[in-house]
Amino acid sequence: MALAMLRASRSPMPGFGLGMGITLTMLSLIVILPIGALLAKGISYGPAEVWATINTPRVWAALHLSFRLALLAAAFNLVFGTLLAWVLARYDFPGRRIVDAVVDLPFALPTAVAGIALTALYAPNGTFGSIAKSMGGKIAYTEWGILIALIFVGLPFVTRTVQPVIAEIEKEVEEASATLGAGRLYTLRRVILPMLAPAALTGFALSLARAVGEYGSVIFIAGNLPMKTEIAPLLIVIKLEEFDYGGAAAIGIAMLLISFSMLLVINLIQIWSRRRIGHV
Amino acid sequence: MYDSTLSEAYALPPERWAQKWRPATDESRLTRVVLIAIALTGLGLLVLAPLAVVFAEALAKGGVAAMASLAQPEALSAIKLTLLVAAISVPVNAIFGIAAAWVITKFDFRGKAFLITLIDLPFSVSPVVAGLALVLLFGTNSLLGGWLVASGHPVIFALPGIVLASVFVTFPFVARELIPVMIEQGRTEEEAALTLGASGWRVFLTVTLPNIRWALLYGVLLCNARAMGEFGAVAVVSGKIRGQTATMPITIEMLYNEYLSVAAFSMAGVLALLALLTLLLKTVLEWRHADQLAATRRH
Amino acid sequence: MHIEIDEIAKTFGNTTALHPVSLPIPSGALVALLGPSGSGKTTLLRILGGLEFPTSGRVLFDGQDATGLSVQDRRAGFVFQSYALFRHMTVFENIAYGLRARPRRIRPPAAEIERRVLKLLELIQLPQIAERYPNQLSGGQRQRVALARALAIEPRMLLLDEPFGALDARVRKELRHGLREIHDTTGLTTVFVTHDQDEAMELADLVVVMSMGRIEQVGRPQDIRARPATPFVREFIAA
Repeated sequence: MALAMLRASRSPMPGFGLGMGITLTMLSLIVILPIGALLAKGISYGPAEVWATINTPRVWAALHLSFRLALLAAAFNLVFGTLLAWVLARYDFPGRRIVDAVVDLPFALPTAVAGIALTALYAPNGTFGSIAKSMGGKIAYTEWGILIALIFVGLPFVTRTVQPVIAEIEKEVEEASATLGAGRLYTLRRVILPMLAPAALTGFALSLARAVGEYGSVIFIAGNLPMKTEIAPLLIVIKLEEFDYGGAAAIGIAMLLISFSMLLVINLIQIWSRRRIGHV
Repeated sequence: MYDSTLSEAYALPPERWAQKWRPATDESRLTRVVLIAIALTGLGLLVLAPLAVVFAEALAKGGVAAMASLAQPEALSAIKLTLLVAAISVPVNAIFGIAAAWVITKFDFRGKAFLITLIDLPFSVSPVVAGLALVLLFGTNSLLGGWLVASGHPVIFALPGIVLASVFVTFPFVARELIPVMIEQGRTEEEAALTLGASGWRVFLTVTLPNIRWALLYGVLLCNARAMGEFGAVAVVSGKIRGQTATMPITIEMLYNEYLSVAAFSMAGVLALLALLTLLLKTVLEWRHADQLAATRRH
Repeated sequence: MHIEIDEIAKTFGNTTALHPVSLPIPSGALVALLGPSGSGKTTLLRILGGLEFPTSGRVLFDGQDATGLSVQDRRAGFVFQSYALFRHMTVFENIAYGLRARPRRIRPPAAEIERRVLKLLELIQLPQIAERYPNQLSGGQRQRVALARALAIEPRMLLLDEPFGALDARVRKELRHGLREIHDTTGLTTVFVTHDQDEAMELADLVVVMSMGRIEQVGRPQDIRARPATPFVREFIAA
């Protein structure tokens, strides 16, 4: 691959060798070699052993929990993030610019900080947790707590991908829909949402990928009970602490494979819709 | 050909024509108010409340207690380590981002799409898996790691591992900001400078860099915020050795697990202030250099 | 449908787009609003279509006050300068849109919608493109699809904003005849906006020359050419 790249270019522009050298060296050292080591570990561990590690009730429960809650969180963010993008792009209200900046806070706030803050809020003695407790419910140390943390870390993705697309919709398209007799809701459903769909799907995928792998914000609020509130990344950490490198690699590979197949499906949907509609 | 029998029977009768008019592209006032209320409430509960609670908990026993907890040797060493990690990994990432964006936008070669996919890869890998991969490559039980430890240069449970982990999770940040901007600007300015006899470095420093400086700063800002706050990947590779390999986020976890709430939230407050500063700078950049960053936001 | 514009004025903030203007448009006429940019012709067209609300004055449809009638209930077939086709829908779906958007009570059954769409595709002489997407069409084809989409709702009138503006000269000539034919077939009162005096003179029964938010002259093309009423009209049609 590297050789093919180095041969290809014939351009008066300088710096190809140096630029490509830095790029490939860094890429190899930081990304390719470590991921390769992970896969190699899986292979040397043996497919049967990898499967035996994954195929235990505790690992299945963790993988199931991680992917199920990540999907739910991404779905929530798809709806709420699109609504937020609409409000920010279309409506004027006092403080709109500040709100617009605040949307990015989950990107800027370290996950450990978010984790302890959410736990303090939603624990039974916290501000929101005590309200839930008085109504006989519990948020922190249950799946609800994990879901809230995953929503938090993925919140900005959909808004940030959809907002510029809303800003670029030509007014005439919405007007055309109205002149043809369509009410506002029908226009939203049949014209606006389909135009936002590719961008919203990108945001959904990013939010999903982030939520699946999230660790820092979740472990504080999750309670980490095996079979109940134990997420897949935590199992990797536990295996590592037991010096079970093969087991850790097996779960890591399983997570990579599931994530990539989900992202692949989303990408294919997108390529298909872009081909149909043309560049948005 | 044309069916001109209008369905007048379906039409609104003229006596009901008056005053139903509304702009075609506006929602009703009620709808607008409800949507804004949902957005603000959601954002308040999900984002602002956690931020507020960080400062409330940090100051629960007063500002003096909070400051005293930050003056502890362990806290100071964590702050120093985090600054050091950011000071190494951010420039490394900036250089990589510029190099990658340069080759991707100024040259045509086979496998370009694949290269871009590889650069984006760290976004879809769990930080814990990233840490695990680094442990498997550089840990004591691997060939390379064993040799490194024997020669006195351990990577895992030491500074190099933390830096590698931080670079991994922030890998695409700078490149992703630069690529769309540099695509939009094209190659003509550089080509013009070359025909005037400028050297390669001169072209880069006097033509390219001024054109991309705000996008570069934007990427560096995001990269820095993530590098200073990374938890999952660092937790795996650092070994969490107090006073040695515990960064600020790791120290927050240790203090929190020891029920040292004020100390944990005080350190969290420092990182939260940093996050707010990042947002402020980012917003200022977006307002003042919208033209240059617009390309970024569109992609 | 007879349209009566009665002392319509429109201001946007501090700028006056239209001074009070009055104009009767006889039923079944093909009318051109002709003027340079900023003359208020598009604003007037948008007020007729219900996309803008006049600051003062009234619009009458067959003698009934329609000023407050909503865009949706107005049933004005509107063709936008950019055509504003729905790019995620096929040509068929674009044309069927207005019929499908009707409340269930008055929505034609699917077979009837299909029959009407295919008939409209024949009317615009593009029967073979039903399953294509707008980005697979030429500029001229897009314009005709936009026209068919507007006709599908059984409009009371046809309003077109610079319908030939985005086309190259050769296609423009062809489509002028197309619009004339469709007007003659349907008998719809048709108003189009243009800045091109040749287009107005060749196509329209009645030309309304506008400038600076005022109507300078209304008349048959040959009358305007022969007897320009103001210096502005003389200069504009000589250009």
